[in-house]
Amino acid sequence: MAAEDLPSEFDVVILGTGLAESVVAAACSRVGQRVLHLDRRSYYAANWASFTFNALLTWIQEQQEGPQPEQGKDWSSLLNDGEELIHLSNPDLDSITNIQVLSYASEEDEEVPDTAKEETSANSQLEAESTGSREEESAEAEEESAEAEATNTKGEEPEVDQSHPGASSGPSEPTRKKISYAQLLKEGRRFNIDLVSKLLFSRGSLVDLLIRSNVSRYTEFKNVTRILTYRHGNLQQVPCSRADVFASRQLSVVEKRKLMRFLTSCIEETEMDQAYSSQPYSKYLQDQQLGENLQHFLLHSIAMVTEDTPTEAGLASTRHFLRSLGRYGNSPFLFPVYGLGEIPQCFCRMSAVFGGIYCLRHSVSCLIVDKDANRCKAVIDSRGQRISCSHFVVEDGYLGSRSSVTTPTRLLSRAILITDSSVLPSDSEQQVSMVTIPPGEVCQSAVKMVELCSSTMTCMPGTYLVHLTCQSVGSAFEDLSQLVTKMFQTPESQEPGGRPSVLWSLYFNMADGSVPGVEGQGLPSNVHVCSGPEGSLDHEHSIKQAELIFQRILPDEEFCPPAPNPEDIIYDGESPTPSAEEDSVKEAGQQEESGGDLKEAGQQEESGGDLNPQLDQ
Amino acid sequence: MSMEDYDYLFKIVLIGNAGVGKTCLVRRFTQGLFPPGQGATIGVDFMIKTVEIKGEKVKLQIWDTAGQERFRSITQSYYRSANALILTYDITCEDSFRCLPEWLREIEQYANNQVVTILVGNKIDLVEKREVLRQRAEDFAEAQSMLYLETSAKESDNVEKLFLDLACELIREAKQNKLDNGDTAPMLGEGKTISYLNCCNVN
Repeated sequence: MAAEDLPSEFDVVILGTGLAESVVAAACSRVGQRVLHLDRRSYYAANWASFTFNALLTWIQEQQEGPQPEQGKDWSSLLNDGEELIHLSNPDLDSITNIQVLSYASEEDEEVPDTAKEETSANSQLEAESTGSREEESAEAEEESAEAEATNTKGEEPEVDQSHPGASSGPSEPTRKKISYAQLLKEGRRFNIDLVSKLLFSRGSLVDLLIRSNVSRYTEFKNVTRILTYRHGNLQQVPCSRADVFASRQLSVVEKRKLMRFLTSCIEETEMDQAYSSQPYSKYLQDQQLGENLQHFLLHSIAMVTEDTPTEAGLASTRHFLRSLGRYGNSPFLFPVYGLGEIPQCFCRMSAVFGGIYCLRHSVSCLIVDKDANRCKAVIDSRGQRISCSHFVVEDGYLGSRSSVTTPTRLLSRAILITDSSVLPSDSEQQVSMVTIPPGEVCQSAVKMVELCSSTMTCMPGTYLVHLTCQSVGSAFEDLSQLVTKMFQTPESQEPGGRPSVLWSLYFNMADGSVPGVEGQGLPSNVHVCSGPEGSLDHEHSIKQAELIFQRILPDEEFCPPAPNPEDIIYDGESPTPSAEEDSVKEAGQQEESGGDLKEAGQQEESGGDLNPQLDQ
Repeated sequence: MSMEDYDYLFKIVLIGNAGVGKTCLVRRFTQGLFPPGQGATIGVDFMIKTVEIKGEKVKLQIWDTAGQERFRSITQSYYRSANALILTYDITCEDSFRCLPEWLREIEQYANNQVVTILVGNKIDLVEKREVLRQRAEDFAEAQSMLYLETSAKESDNVEKLFLDLACELIREAKQNKLDNGDTAPMLGEGKTISYLNCCNVN
């Protein structure tokens, strides 16, 4: 469907729906630019996307199959005098590599009483049929590489009696029923699995932008509830708020006092001792007589820097952490409900509301460049339509070889796990944890781990979704599998013990977007390149990049001014009705009487409503 | 400032092919206008109307697609926290009816499980051009366990009824679900004035 043709004239054409591109789209539409926003893929958010479990399996398969061969059409007939073409390529070409899937969940439901066997057998056949073998094969092709237990060959008739690897944990264990692979598939839509793993600093530039632009009305957030660190093979909670510090049982009274004094002085921005200007932060911490414990917390979990980060940068990171703390809760971080993939989409929605035209599964084949002016005059879309534009914004992946020739490839190693319990069980099952694993503890590089619970709407109830990220040394599997084996229960784990079991895991490498881009390397001056996700925990890089690009395109315009509150809009030829007036003076507040669903809507409203970030300190 | 002046707030989301009259339905209901062409739709995220049902004030927040349906590119987040979906087609356009299963697949993927879906056949003022028989649509709606209604945004037929019926249904469901209250998410902008530093000062 949608054979409709696109208009042939825009101010800004944007290719790729990653975070930076989407922010640029929203910002340009917001100030009245005619924006065309395209993505070759069938989904939003590029490498920032989140997928349901089933969609992730399809994505994995697509990555493994490699890109479809491009039809090298000759568009030169569309050229006028003095014009030349720049060809674009497929963005998926090499941004994702070394994909490895390990499935540990049993194929069938375990612990089924004998009497119910017939029934399960029927069910499992049904499930095997309904879920479609296509995706399963892709997952299983990889399973061979690891001696994953409980992977009976699919395609054969599932035989219930045989496939009871967990028979030891008999029906006498009423507390937990192991979740099977079939269940993961069946409940697949309850997962929203992010390709990147990041958090929002409560006072970071993304949160500021969401509030300032009113894009925050499209999404909801959860607090990260605790900060953990992995040390000497143990997980410890990092005390960061005053309450935490005093409640901590790991810290002595002296340590508590020292930590409080240090944090307080840090946030007051007292002049840094100039003696440390050329010294690493770790040395600075050492000299504060904080003790090894506190130094570890401050360096790895609060500042989240390395041993050789300069003192000034270390202090800045510490301050950033402390300032974000307590704005929304007892940790400095927020996580978007339904996953990070929502965020670029929210900016796309804002762009569409202000007239941006959206078209997925639609790409740009080449740019038409005016040779004399060295400016991009128009693009030719994948259907051969010439679309003129004043500016072209593009995700770097579409520039293909152009970028990889000139820049060394740096990679991120990622692991995504679906587990059956939390790494650190507590009173509440609904914890969102940020875990720092310092370099040298298990892996060569520092590993950031985020554990999400089902109330973030990223995994099915009874499971946790664990994201691990580090700078690559080897492949993702080489970098991270050892840590996974140590912190979680897999068949490879040496000693048994009450660790969470991994039901399913995915390893892959992703190109690191912090590598300096291809800007200016022979590209026309009105072509603006956005990089993909990088390895940091925050979103500063992409937001800064988007703002810079916007300023280059529209130097005199405001970046993302607040969108009007729908309740305040007065339409042409219409006198404000009494109800409209009432609405506009209302103050957003929580409805006591409303049920769960209503509450969500109520909050939605609250976020878009009369909020004034300035009020908040 | 006083508390909110309503008992319920619902988010209603419209979907369906381009040109079936989604925006017209919203504008007719919220502003009594047709055609809606005059006023700017640019920059309008959703429309609000507060109605009273059996003595209870119900605020309806009605979201439109912002044109993203034109090229089949609606963001998933659009569906996320909808309480109700109005799936619209044009009774004079067979194609818009044939696309319904595709829309239902999207709903199933991204919308909340408990979302109330109503199928609406719009443009009954053009009955002489009808391409989709009422019976066919009713059967389809029944098979998908949706409510069904035919409307004319132009003549204002059944438009009020559509939204009021939905509101009644949503209230009924809300009263049923009252018990399962999920925990609340912190909201942006809801920032606490007690910052970390403030904590330190209180001794």
